[in-house]
Amino acid sequence: MPPKGAGKRKNTTVYSDDSPTPPVPTLAEQLSYLQYPRPFKNPNYTKNTNRRTKNLKAVLTQEREREKNERERRRQEKEENMDVDGEQPAEDPLEDDLPTYASIEAPPSVLPQRRYCDITGLEGPYTDPATGLRYHDKSIYELIRGLSATAAKEYLSARGVNPIVK
Amino acid sequence: MEVDESNITFLPIQPLPTVQVPATDYDDHRDAHTPLCIDNGSTHLRFGFCTSDTPRTGINMVAKYKERKTNKPLLLFGEGIDVEGGARSQAKTPWEGDVLLNFDALENALDYAFIHLGIDTPAVDHPILMTERLASPLHSRALTSELMFEQYSVPSLAFCVDSVMSFYHNNLPSPPVPFRDDGLVVSFNTASTSVIPILDGKGIMSHAKRINWGASQATDYLLKLIQLKYPTFPSRVTPTQCNWMLQNFCEFSPDYPALLRKLKDPLNLRASERIIQFPYQVPVTEEKTEEELARIAERKKEQGRKLQELAAKSRMEKLVQKETDLAHLLSVRERKEEESKREWADTLREEGFANDAALEAAIKKLEADLKKARKKEADGEDAENEEPPSFPLVDVPDEDLDEEGLKEKKKQKLMKAGYEARERAKREKEREREERAAEEKREEEERDRDLSGWATKMRREQETLMNRIKERNRRRAALTDRKSAASQARMKSIANLAADDRVPKKRRKAGGEDMFGADDADWAIYRKINTAAASSDEEEDFAALAAVEQKLLAHDPTFTEEHTHAALSSQRSALMSAFRPAYDEGDPQGKARIHLNIERWRACEAWFSPSMAGIDSAGLGEVLQNVLARFSDADKGRLVNNVFLTGAPSQLPGLRDRLHATLRPILPPEMPLEIVRAADPVLDAWRGMADFAKTDEFKKVGVTRAEYEEWGGERVKRWWGGNWNASVPLKED
Repeated sequence: MPPKGAGKRKNTTVYSDDSPTPPVPTLAEQLSYLQYPRPFKNPNYTKNTNRRTKNLKAVLTQEREREKNERERRRQEKEENMDVDGEQPAEDPLEDDLPTYASIEAPPSVLPQRRYCDITGLEGPYTDPATGLRYHDKSIYELIRGLSATAAKEYLSARGVNPIVK
Repeated sequence: MEVDESNITFLPIQPLPTVQVPATDYDDHRDAHTPLCIDNGSTHLRFGFCTSDTPRTGINMVAKYKERKTNKPLLLFGEGIDVEGGARSQAKTPWEGDVLLNFDALENALDYAFIHLGIDTPAVDHPILMTERLASPLHSRALTSELMFEQYSVPSLAFCVDSVMSFYHNNLPSPPVPFRDDGLVVSFNTASTSVIPILDGKGIMSHAKRINWGASQATDYLLKLIQLKYPTFPSRVTPTQCNWMLQNFCEFSPDYPALLRKLKDPLNLRASERIIQFPYQVPVTEEKTEEELARIAERKKEQGRKLQELAAKSRMEKLVQKETDLAHLLSVRERKEEESKREWADTLREEGFANDAALEAAIKKLEADLKKARKKEADGEDAENEEPPSFPLVDVPDEDLDEEGLKEKKKQKLMKAGYEARERAKREKEREREERAAEEKREEEERDRDLSGWATKMRREQETLMNRIKERNRRRAALTDRKSAASQARMKSIANLAADDRVPKKRRKAGGEDMFGADDADWAIYRKINTAAASSDEEEDFAALAAVEQKLLAHDPTFTEEHTHAALSSQRSALMSAFRPAYDEGDPQGKARIHLNIERWRACEAWFSPSMAGIDSAGLGEVLQNVLARFSDADKGRLVNNVFLTGAPSQLPGLRDRLHATLRPILPPEMPLEIVRAADPVLDAWRGMADFAKTDEFKKVGVTRAEYEEWGGERVKRWWGGNWNASVPLKED
């Protein structure tokens, strides 16, 4: 979709060198927005580099830890409330357990898993005992017999199986 | 390899991004506090004032790098990154999969957004409505709030869940009526898919579920499948290209097992394929004219002749040199008679010889060389018709000979023996040739007499040979596995051979003897345990096989090229050649083609069973069932009456049918099931945000600056379209 003012080409590119004929800026230079002023930014803000450089694992661990603590706190609170007057505070049951990033994750499947041929993706009723690959029929089995160990491993890893070397 | 040309799609060429310039009409919004909506998606960033019809959109990615030529620092956003190869490797996205994590990148992206909205005031003085992930980790929310309030000094900030806003936009209430719609939102995101039940216009976030499978995972899966199918593809297949394939050729199948049963037939498999043609290079073959070829041949001949001449000349020179040397040495030897002992010794030393013997040896050698060379020269004419040499001294008794004669006799005896051996060999060869000719003749007669009988015999022979080769291959394969029976047997043999007591002790005491080797076949054990030995047998077998096949090809009209061992062993099943059609070695165009067939559905099927791609999670169908199971039948009916699909991957064909086929069986038959897709699955989330930002309700849901300072960055107000984690109930007033 054309943005507002796309028709008017404004030549706002600032040239750092003082050559009389400024060089034609490359497309990348034209696309760069580094030179635009940013008055809306707070000059006194210092970003918290430590907090910013957390990795995914740390963030998710922290999230789980926090959830655990929160549950513990709620449980205690509930017990205290019951001790005091034995009367349940009228709370919406739907809002009782607060969802967190970890708690809304879909659980592992409990349905029986279908087996598919690792090579073609067709139904795979057979398993090659040597490599662990599932296969559709005899012709695929012949292909599997010709596979190198690494290729077989690659096929398995597509299904998320990382075989242990016997 | 014949293919339907109309089925081939070429890779698209990416158009160059256009230069987008900041808006100049900020005056409309200056001090107007127009709400600003930012849909911070993990693939695209969409932003704009709520008064616009459509947001500005860009790929949510920034690259900061230094231009190599001018050494100028550059900062690129979105599509602009693709114009510079160097920028690509420096690109950073705010998202890591499904989690907002890289806040430096987010800051750069937001800078881009605010610059391009034309904001030129000392603060971003607009209430912000921004999306966040369903049940976003609080770390992400805290740092986003911090950025918004402290870096950009916004007056208020509200977070919403994008898919709920898309639902809102598609079920927009007319102004006086509050939003009270029911529905089950299925949101297809880049790195995840979530299901959110909505009752009375209120997202029931506690019952929402997220599947860690999204378009990016599907793309990766498809890429992996392609790499496995074409391990030696000439060019690199990029995730971007794969995503394009996913969008254009992949679809959901309403009944995947039935589809697989249909595709089992190679003909159907071929019919279902889509071919993607990658760029390729035709190798340049130099065409030479007749004339040129003739000239080259002539030149080569000329060169050969010159070389021959040169060689002959140098040979001649050497010969002459040797002759003069010999003459010189002979003259030296003659001097021995004339000179005194001492003089002779000096002469010898001068010539470089230690003693007489050395001189003699040198002369002899020269003579022999000369003889050989002369013979060689003369060889051209009379190599064949050589008279049998005579050995006159051999039969003369020793008594009649002097010392010289005896020596000569000995020599002649040896030469005679050698000559006779050669003659014998020649005769042997002759006889063999005759035998072979006779054999051929006999065979020919047999063939003439009974062609079919001969052919059967030959074919049986071919089969035996092929079986032997096959057996050998099998054994070789078995030996690579330590645990196979063949390996174990071999180990046993080795252990037996290494052990001293092949003969049991009892028998040895009784005078038993080691009989190993008494039978020649005993030695075969050494061939058997040697894994590398079989090669000579193999060569023999292959030679015999080739001979048999040659005969059959020549004489049996029913035996064609495809019956040969080479053809049989390289034969592929019809299924495999339909799954991955093979092209000839010298077909670069064909080699640069990807045939997609089962993958077209396989990549999408993973949404419904992520376990096939190694993600241990329930699929979409199972999750929907779980979510619905937590509601009463009445609520369930309200939810499934409006199953709402949004997000870019929901545009893949067949999704609605598939969901219908999944949901219908698990619902009571009288319960109406309605599945709708957002009018614009990509942009409707932002449009819903813009709709909502224009209402009065929006003013109540945002966290103000004062509240941020009191609560910190994690807490939000709980409202119908926002997350519930770390939320405080909205004050009813």
